[in-house]
Amino acid sequence: MLALILPAFAILIAFQIVPILIGANASFRRWSLFNPEKAFVGLENYARILGDPIFYGTVLPNTFLFMFASVTAGLLSGLGLALLLNRRFRGERIARTAVLLPLMVPPVVAAIMVTWMFNDQFGVVNAVLTALGLEPIPWLISRWTSLGIVILTDVWLWTPWFTILILAALQTLPAEPHEAARIDGAGAWPLFRNITLPLLRPVLMVCITIRLIDAFRVFDIVWTITKGGPARSTEVFSIYAYKQAFVYLNFDLGSAASLIGAGIIMVVGAVLYKALSYAVEVSR
Amino acid sequence: MTAGWKRAFFTLTITGATLLLVFPVAWMVLTALRPASGVFYVHRGTEFTLANFAEALAKPEMKAAFFNSAFIATFATIFSLAVTITSGYMLSRFQGRASSLWFGLIYLFRCIPYISWVIPLYLLTQWLGILDTYLGLLLPHIAIHICFFSWIMKGFFDGISPEAEYAAYIDGCSRWGAFFRIALPMATPGIVALGILSWLYTWNEFLFALILTGSRTSMLTVRMAQFVHETGIEWHLMSATAVMAIGPALIVTLFAQEYVVKGLKV
Repeated sequence: MLALILPAFAILIAFQIVPILIGANASFRRWSLFNPEKAFVGLENYARILGDPIFYGTVLPNTFLFMFASVTAGLLSGLGLALLLNRRFRGERIARTAVLLPLMVPPVVAAIMVTWMFNDQFGVVNAVLTALGLEPIPWLISRWTSLGIVILTDVWLWTPWFTILILAALQTLPAEPHEAARIDGAGAWPLFRNITLPLLRPVLMVCITIRLIDAFRVFDIVWTITKGGPARSTEVFSIYAYKQAFVYLNFDLGSAASLIGAGIIMVVGAVLYKALSYAVEVSR
Repeated sequence: MTAGWKRAFFTLTITGATLLLVFPVAWMVLTALRPASGVFYVHRGTEFTLANFAEALAKPEMKAAFFNSAFIATFATIFSLAVTITSGYMLSRFQGRASSLWFGLIYLFRCIPYISWVIPLYLLTQWLGILDTYLGLLLPHIAIHICFFSWIMKGFFDGISPEAEYAAYIDGCSRWGAFFRIALPMATPGIVALGILSWLYTWNEFLFALILTGSRTSMLTVRMAQFVHETGIEWHLMSATAVMAIGPALIVTLFAQEYVVKGLKV
């Protein structure tokens, strides 16, 4: 029986667990490119990260804002789209193909497309604004518009994922509760609110859990669109740790930051896991 | 009357949503087809060209980047499927301490952000002397998938009733025999679906590629992100590259839809 998991376990140990231990070791030492001694400094690196105004004042708020905004928007639009697609209509195949497309596109490519569309001088968005008689907006030079664009990109990338999973769940829902309620004269909204939504709760919770955990570690689209700028104002957790390690070349601080983030998401993950088990239990 | 309005509303929203999902890609394709002089006013002018694609491919390291990404994606897919099929089978068919411990481990390590292990992974691969080599890219890309794929594979095997395997035991089949002759063939459609997604995940992956590659094994996504920053204004070439990069995605979307939808189930 253990032979079945041995190859997977060996790779997991060598390329995930061992690196994490190396990182933990580095986070307790002074470990930078210019310092060959690697002296033990205890929790100093953790204190420096937690005391860094950029980390607690910009990075963490950005990360949580990104998580909640993009998961909420993706969930709502995915749910809406799934409800629309859950019927037969002409052009259904085209719509379903279109839904699948963003999911397959590399996030880096999506980020590049969005950067081009929101280009201040030649982007199509500003061209439309100008045509409507409005002032063009220099999207990527302020914190909030930049973050907004990053979130928009993420929503575009992930709405289809929510749609497909929710649609699959909708198609396996039992028909009887709906029929019974319709015979009793329930309208569309009460039907959705009191029957469809509770029945969907398990799949919605699974989607939310997975996406929140993944959104916390977002890197590629932020890196491609803003690189954390302007002036570090759009840095998220992964960008911050990456920059510490590979731009400022402080492996110690980068490791400490990345482990602090791992700790935060473990707590969030544990809470979500409990909530998930509860939601699945309740709707049994 | 109301039925008519409802219909119109439905048609309008679904058309709008479809357009929003397709527009960025369509716009990029259009930009890729415009000559350098027309690119800044994509919406005006009627000149089109295919020369951008050749010019983009002629950029340094670009052809190699396409090759490397395809190479790593193919082998990472083969190996990660191979090691997670048995792992998922174990999770699905065996109960007890070892199984629940392994499942707990998988959930735990699925949650750890990539950045937390890719920073020290850089040190590790450097120390092993495999940084910026195919091996140094391939092994971590297999590792990325272990947790999630084991979980999905468990789902595939959970969906197959073990009755047929029991019948095979009675007929004198060994455990391995039952696995290879009964369970594996029945799970194949799911595994193919996951394989397609796995290939695309690796092809699309950015953070590991960014940290673990240098000039010898440049990967497509990293090469493209560099492109944006080093030649910020050559949007026609940028778009041409991006269009080629989503080629596999387009092929899968058009011809393997059913498989993809199956592979996404969690």
